[in-house]
Amino acid sequence: MKTWKIILLIIVAGGLLAAILGYVFVYNKAHRDYERARPDMALSASELYQAFAINEKEAEETFINKVLLIDGTLAGVEQPADDMVVLSFVFAEGFFGGEGVRCTMLPSQHDRALQLSAGDQVVVKGLCTGFTGTDVILEHASFESETIR
Amino acid sequence: MKNRAILVACLLACMHLSASSQVYLTRNGTIRFFSEAPLENIEALNRQVMSALNTETGEFVFRLPMRSFAFDKALMQEHFNDNFVESHKYPNATFQGVMEGIGDIDFDRPGEISVVVEGELTIKDVSKNIRESGTLHIHEDHLHASAEFIIAPEDYNIRIPTRYARNIAREIEVFVDVNLRPQ
Repeated sequence: MKTWKIILLIIVAGGLLAAILGYVFVYNKAHRDYERARPDMALSASELYQAFAINEKEAEETFINKVLLIDGTLAGVEQPADDMVVLSFVFAEGFFGGEGVRCTMLPSQHDRALQLSAGDQVVVKGLCTGFTGTDVILEHASFESETIR
Repeated sequence: MKNRAILVACLLACMHLSASSQVYLTRNGTIRFFSEAPLENIEALNRQVMSALNTETGEFVFRLPMRSFAFDKALMQEHFNDNFVESHKYPNATFQGVMEGIGDIDFDRPGEISVVVEGELTIKDVSKNIRESGTLHIHEDHLHASAEFIIAPEDYNIRIPTRYARNIAREIEVFVDVNLRPQ
């Protein structure tokens, strides 16, 4: 085979490989595994809520898009939809009723979450996605192993 | 505490609650959007929509964290948050408006009614007046409001780089779906 053909073959094969790798690892890369993610910071649910209630702008910069490990006393377990379970921590009363921190649990955590009730002490890890004006939102939430007291 | 007071006041500014007002609420409404473009279709779902409807005055509000939009592909989600809506700078979208003709609706009679909502939609700190039709389903214990409308990203200062022109539609379909329960 002539040299130029070999070079062309290498270039085409290299391009193809780059395209496949780009498709798999960039375009089609997996979502972050929040259940296994290392928390960026740990604090109580009450401290988290107070941070947003006192200075929302500053709290947004500190906590949004961070994986947080929070602990506190549950106010309730809600199931707004068949495939959605939310743990709520309440620290104030407002127009919408109880205000605090709401954790939307990962599907793998639903069974365990549904066994809990108001008054239980829990430690939950999740991604902070924002503040609705009444509640701090944690999503993709999971229990840290051996952290339910 | 001052910031929070302003924030809640902004969201609920028009609620004008009186003793006889009936307010219906949800904290887990959904907003979905769909973009159909030559190279790919993009869809995202947000299930953290806080919404309220005052059935006496017709005032209707919702607010949602932009970072709660979930995409099929992680890369799309990153581009959406980091490059397009810049959710680190503009973390929330809000709507404050009025459901027209609310006084003519009998909330004691279950059924489906076509409604028109007009108000201000704010994304990336850009507010635009919108007027859209929707459907209100009256159930015995709750209300289900839904609407579909179209927005143009450029109206809200969402700039799509030329290299993504064939990936993202110039007009995005938005679907609002909220189950509201009495306060």
